[in-house]
Amino acid sequence: MAATTESVRADAAEAPLLNKTNLIAGFMLYLVFYSFIRWYEGVYGWSAGLDSFAPEFETYWMNMLYIELVLEVIISAALWGYIWKSRDRKVMSITPREELRRHFTHWTWLVMYGWAIYWGASYFTEQDGTWHQTIVRDTDFTPSHIIEFYLSYPIYIITGVSAFLYAKTRLPTYNEGLHLMYLVAVIGPFMILPNVGLNEWGHTFWFMEELFVAPLHYGFVFFGWAALAIMGVVNTEVMAITKLLKKDLA
Amino acid sequence: MSASQSAVRSRAEAVAVSRTFDWMILFTLFTAVLGGYHIHYMLTGGDWDFWSDWKDRRLWVTVAPIVSITFPAAVQAMLWYRYRLPVGATICVLALLLGEWINRYMNFWGWTYFPVNFCFPSNLMPGAIVLDVILMLGGSMTLTAVVGGLAWGLLFYPGNWPIIAPLHVPVEYNGMMFTLADLQGYHYVRTGTPEYIRMVEKGTLRTFGKDVAPVSAFFSGFVSVIIYFLWHFFGKWFNKTDFISGENV
Amino acid sequence: MKIIKDKVAKLSFVALLITMTAAIFYTPTASAHGEKSQAAFMRMRTIHWFDLNWSKDEVAINETMTISGKFHVFAGWPETVDKPEVAFLNIGIPGPVFIRAGSWIGDQLVPRSVSLELGETYTFKVLLKARRPGDWHVHTMLNVEGGGPIIGPGKWVTITGSMGQFVNPLVTLTGDTIDLEDYALDNIYFWHALWYAIGLAWLVFWAKRPMFIPRHIAVSSGKADTLISAGDKKVGIAFALGTMVLVAGSMASTNEKYPVTTPLQAGLMRGMVPIDMPATSVVVKVEDATYRVPGRAMQMTLTITNNGDSAVRLGEFMTASVRFLDADVLEDESGYPDDLLAEEGLTSSDNSPLAPGETRTVNVTASDAAWEVYRLADLIYDPDSRFAGLLFFFDEDGNRQMVMVDAPLIPSFI
Repeated sequence: MAATTESVRADAAEAPLLNKTNLIAGFMLYLVFYSFIRWYEGVYGWSAGLDSFAPEFETYWMNMLYIELVLEVIISAALWGYIWKSRDRKVMSITPREELRRHFTHWTWLVMYGWAIYWGASYFTEQDGTWHQTIVRDTDFTPSHIIEFYLSYPIYIITGVSAFLYAKTRLPTYNEGLHLMYLVAVIGPFMILPNVGLNEWGHTFWFMEELFVAPLHYGFVFFGWAALAIMGVVNTEVMAITKLLKKDLA
Repeated sequence: MSASQSAVRSRAEAVAVSRTFDWMILFTLFTAVLGGYHIHYMLTGGDWDFWSDWKDRRLWVTVAPIVSITFPAAVQAMLWYRYRLPVGATICVLALLLGEWINRYMNFWGWTYFPVNFCFPSNLMPGAIVLDVILMLGGSMTLTAVVGGLAWGLLFYPGNWPIIAPLHVPVEYNGMMFTLADLQGYHYVRTGTPEYIRMVEKGTLRTFGKDVAPVSAFFSGFVSVIIYFLWHFFGKWFNKTDFISGENV
Repeated sequence: MKIIKDKVAKLSFVALLITMTAAIFYTPTASAHGEKSQAAFMRMRTIHWFDLNWSKDEVAINETMTISGKFHVFAGWPETVDKPEVAFLNIGIPGPVFIRAGSWIGDQLVPRSVSLELGETYTFKVLLKARRPGDWHVHTMLNVEGGGPIIGPGKWVTITGSMGQFVNPLVTLTGDTIDLEDYALDNIYFWHALWYAIGLAWLVFWAKRPMFIPRHIAVSSGKADTLISAGDKKVGIAFALGTMVLVAGSMASTNEKYPVTTPLQAGLMRGMVPIDMPATSVVVKVEDATYRVPGRAMQMTLTITNNGDSAVRLGEFMTASVRFLDADVLEDESGYPDDLLAEEGLTSSDNSPLAPGETRTVNVTASDAAWEVYRLADLIYDPDSRFAGLLFFFDEDGNRQMVMVDAPLIPSFI
């Protein structure tokens, strides 16, 4: 009896199952950051982004590219390194409640991954269409590419790999091996970034003009399909959470 | 870990937790599908979708349904077969249209100043609702593919006609006849997109005279049936919950 | 504390909206276009633009201006670029800052792609109507299928006023007067909003009940059939039937409202009529040509024969839109863009009048920073190291003759 009282006391002080502040803060972080990016594009796309041989292009766009690449390497190394270093070595012995809490944290990561995929694959990718149909492409590093390929794609890659690492290091569900669809859901969209190589090669050799449905772009399409692997992740998660809730839901 | 311990304190908490997961899952599914579907659709049928002067009676009608039935088929393979939720196609189309509209408004209009009446997306909603309802009523992949796939193709053009018809009114301009949509393409300069890139009204279709849209829609529906089957099985594969060992990676 | 938090949240949201709106309505000074990126040989050996005129430097919203002139389709067209059998007379502006109110090759309106012949010269005119305020670089431009955009010279034009005042009125063949700028916009919003609402209603109908975990429990324990009730099926049928009725009904009412519609107009336009250039009586043979990298100068040894009946002098060498003039012979009065004009850039070892019947070999130098600024010097890195351009000769009465040159080029690095 005494033990029960103690655990109830402990619960009163323990962290909530879902940390809503983190969820909202994460959501807002992407929203505010990308709103700033959109503002930057609106202003400096027109004033400094049309002629890649102009000095202002170097100032406002190439420097942007260098800064973001450096930051992405630092942030991904720090974040992934931290998640891995602080991994739970006794992941199989956590309490069901702690497991449930971690599923919520994991889902906070997955919500961010979905959110980041939206910005990268939908918002900035179609935006690239309107920019390249409007201007004359005179470099591989156009303002819309500097944002789309080298900012929004790395951001969802960083987010996706973080979610994967979190699941792998903290959830018993993922202890039995590597989840195939999780790998596809993270590596597939990641492959869109190397596929930029094909895109730029093709645009340099043949197409200065923008035809979105050109077969040259099908590499992006193929890897975009991998986003569907989120379904496999959802299924596994639903099964795992069902195990935790089943007898209480019945 | 003690098996007897419970993750939740009460049934009420279990219900609340389950519901919270519903929303988080729905959000992630919606946005991830939005990203994948949008990148797929914009790069396989995007130019027809971007501009009113690409929305013709032949290629747009043929291409758009064929390339857009893909993700709905795959997501139905998840939501219906695992959760009995007949909303797979509707979720895909809601997601895609939201992504498209945000972008057309914020970027096509907001960044590069093309009027919205020139760069609005195609309407895929009628086909999506019918596809979901057929799956719900029949519960059959084959029936959904054959009847739903055909409906997907056939509903596309009439579902869009009220939106594009005003832009197909003819106008005389400097001694030539245009539709208003053609004139939009001519007036609102797309520097990086010369006219010859436009794939519209190709081929003669001489036997059918002016009624080419129904023929194109019928053909599109036929191919949509096949694509539905294919993507249903893609969807099944993407639904796998298998683990593999590190040695296989 | 909570009130403060709410306020901060509210204010940040307002700030966000303001920022995004500000970005949308920001009036910029645009930078130039990407013409310098194009390989030098492509600019030198494809389309030569000349006798250009930009009718205005400054226009108000809704006012028009024209760019007119001639372009010569070079006979020595490079093998790496497809021939202009399918080409489009475009205009190099950053999107729809102007609308293209008209464009002509000769007397023919060219809203669609055209077929051009190598070696011919065409007149052209583009009529632009100002739409969005700002300083814009306005280029002539021709797109060639398989070759890409070929950008001609550009000049800064200022548009004044406010974009909100822009109108684009038209009278349709059915007799209606419309403004194409926002024509049918409400109709587009209405139908999309309606269909989106219907789709959303269908989703909400299912999302109102528990979705994933309880339904998974039911399906995996063999009770999947209990998840769809007879009521659900009725609602589903109502949605599907409603959808089909709405599609059919809206199609019928649209056909009633717009009884006259036509298909999109497309197809290649052939038969562009070139102009007859005055017959040339001057023959030029390029003996050799070098580009001196340190001196930013191209030197040609030319053997010029005058077969005409009046004495001529070399006045201009034009390549890739850069004009090198001999100030003694020719002065530009057309307001050609400064950065593309080397007013004293052409020097000749002997540019005294070449009498009829006379042949003379001269060293001609075309020098200007434009070789570097416009990256024409990169010619020496091209896979097909040739140069090409137009030479203009003038007689005492000011009559002009145009002669093409096209020859190998040897770089000199010392």
